[in-house]
Amino acid sequence: MYKYDYIDQTLVNERVTQFKDQVQRRIDGSLPEEEFRPLRLQNGLYHQRHAYMLRVAIPYGLLSSEQLRTLANISEKYDRGYGHFTTRQNIQFNWIKLEETPAILADLAKVQMHAIQTSGNCIRNITSDAFAGVAADEYVDPRPVCELLRQWSTLHPEFAFLPRKFKFAVCGAKEDRTILLCHDVGISLKKNTNGELIADIYAGGGMGRTPILGSLIKESLPWNVLPSYLTALLRVYNRFGRRDNIYKARIKILVKALGPEEFARQVEGEWASIKDGDDNFQQSEWDRVAKHFTKPAYKTAEQISTEDLVQSALENERAAFARWLERNVKAHQVPGYASVIFSLKPHGSVAPGDATTEQMLAIADLADQYSFSELRVTHEQNLVLADVEQARLLELWHKAKAQNVVLPNIGLLTDIIACPGGDFCSLANAKSLPIAKAIQERFDDLDYLHDLGEISLNISGCINSCGHHHVGNIGVLGVDKDGQEWYQITLGGEQGNHAAIGKVIGPSFGAEQIPDVMADIIDTFVKHRTADEPFIETYRRLGVTPFKEAAYLNRSKESSAAGATA
Amino acid sequence: MSEHVSQTNRVLSYPKGGKPAIITNEWQVWHGDETELSNLNPKQKVLVPFSWWLMHGQAQVKDSTSELAKRIQEKTIGVWFAADDDILKHLDVIEAGKSIWPLVGADFPVFRDGRSFSTAALLRERFHWTGEIRAIGDVLIDQLILGARSGFDSFALRADQNTDVALKQFDLFSVRTQNSWRDCRSQLSNQLTEAV
Repeated sequence: MYKYDYIDQTLVNERVTQFKDQVQRRIDGSLPEEEFRPLRLQNGLYHQRHAYMLRVAIPYGLLSSEQLRTLANISEKYDRGYGHFTTRQNIQFNWIKLEETPAILADLAKVQMHAIQTSGNCIRNITSDAFAGVAADEYVDPRPVCELLRQWSTLHPEFAFLPRKFKFAVCGAKEDRTILLCHDVGISLKKNTNGELIADIYAGGGMGRTPILGSLIKESLPWNVLPSYLTALLRVYNRFGRRDNIYKARIKILVKALGPEEFARQVEGEWASIKDGDDNFQQSEWDRVAKHFTKPAYKTAEQISTEDLVQSALENERAAFARWLERNVKAHQVPGYASVIFSLKPHGSVAPGDATTEQMLAIADLADQYSFSELRVTHEQNLVLADVEQARLLELWHKAKAQNVVLPNIGLLTDIIACPGGDFCSLANAKSLPIAKAIQERFDDLDYLHDLGEISLNISGCINSCGHHHVGNIGVLGVDKDGQEWYQITLGGEQGNHAAIGKVIGPSFGAEQIPDVMADIIDTFVKHRTADEPFIETYRRLGVTPFKEAAYLNRSKESSAAGATA
Repeated sequence: MSEHVSQTNRVLSYPKGGKPAIITNEWQVWHGDETELSNLNPKQKVLVPFSWWLMHGQAQVKDSTSELAKRIQEKTIGVWFAADDDILKHLDVIEAGKSIWPLVGADFPVFRDGRSFSTAALLRERFHWTGEIRAIGDVLIDQLILGARSGFDSFALRADQNTDVALKQFDLFSVRTQNSWRDCRSQLSNQLTEAV
């Protein structure tokens, strides 16, 4: 894992001092709220429905156990005993006092963490594959590039007041686990035939009000010229992105308006004049950063078959353990090792992505004991121990059970991605958490969930789509109609290599109808699926019509029945 | 504020390699609409809108008898770029301006509008502009570091900004993680790279 050098640490310390001064000027009234707002947002500090919310950066989702302990302590000391892991691999605290934020940032700085650029119209926390460096299907470990870009983008002077927020994702594996095409810029890393590290650049993707998949605008860019190329790209966006309309200010609108070819041409024109400058990364920088991402001290171990693993459990535990191995344990590059996903989606009890102080402390201990003191945060809002010896999986499962994080629902219907919604967020039009809870309660039968197989269900409380509902196989979007909360359903979204934006099936539903609507959609799938066909394939084969009909048929019966009784 | 005086006549000057200081502002920003240029005091140093220069300035430069030509000779005329001026479309004009204008400005119509950071960066990088570039408009204390690193070396602060706080801004960071007009990134400029 990357360790700050003198420069990184000094920068973060000095940033704490800078923000402390800005907070002080806000408190003494010399800095008006309107002018403080973008400054606090660039430090991840929102003013929410009930209190301030602080979003802490977890660059490319990588976390040490020591850092997780600090986050746990912050949740205890300054919040209400929990934190919320987000779809951008960050963590946020919901109950923060403005005057305490400098102290929190100082605590974070001690463990090489910060909240820089986790919000605001600037380059946001760079996200990546939660299985970077360990995934069996990886071409290239993306983390050195992510770290170099983290440094390059941190407090970048030219791009702190962009037209809108700006999100990067970096991927280096065969299977995209970053939703690369739904980012302002997606960087796909690979090696060319000479073994050199190169990047394909996708631009203009994003969700929100106008979901668009990014377009390939540059192929085979050498890794070291990323700073000059991205400067050119951001400069074009900074100068020509729309500022007259907040809804049209994202780069996706500019790329769409110009067309990807013309946008690429303009970037190329700008890049031509700076590509040979001294902005580009030097080999010495790579060497300094990359040495932190070498492999940990793996033992030489034999690969253990799933069957043998299951047999090692007590007879009465085998079914549950096997299910956990199937859903929550992933293949690793190194024989005898596996990656383990802790589900932060227990059915119906907490908000997806929430972890309590106790859980965070206990999981930090488990990371120390089982995974070289490191963890990952996934964009699906779960936690990962990436380097676990297969031989110790059973032991880990037993211990993790006590923390209520072993529910084997990874990738299943109840592994719901959800934003905090109207319970916390002041942007939201509707609540998301009670919807997630109601669905998890309805689909509480693990056998049934396993039979259904892979289905992604994503819920957003507003059109900003922090819950990524556009790329859920089933998406739920909270909308406001005459001051009332309604929910619109989209179907057919997908993340990964076949990324797709879901389609709205029709008029929205009331909150209380959503579990039944889900049941009708799922029943339709079960009725039409062939063998083990996943939901998305059945949907693609049949199209939206049968699902839509099922969702509305029972509702029209309900309303006529309600009409008859009235 | 340490002194209760209007600061519209004050400019924060921060030359590359120098120290930040408050200096008296000698330049008036003319917006081109409120009055005729000729109505302004002929001795007054004036920044004219770049768009106005394109329409009127160039022709008058060639006419050595014009009032503008005289002002240019006396080095009392500069231009300011609006946030939406596409300076790359006027390479020749700006290239010629390098020997004519003693000062150029770039405007922040509202502090949240960061286009002029790119304008300054382009002037330094693309045009190799070595003269002064002044930030004008809604220029606030918390933008000073960004501006100074993008290419500005003077700042006409908004009148209500506290100059004491402003002067301290440039000492806040002793390191940086990307290149800028003033410095290259710390990683390349020194060897203090031991892990902490």
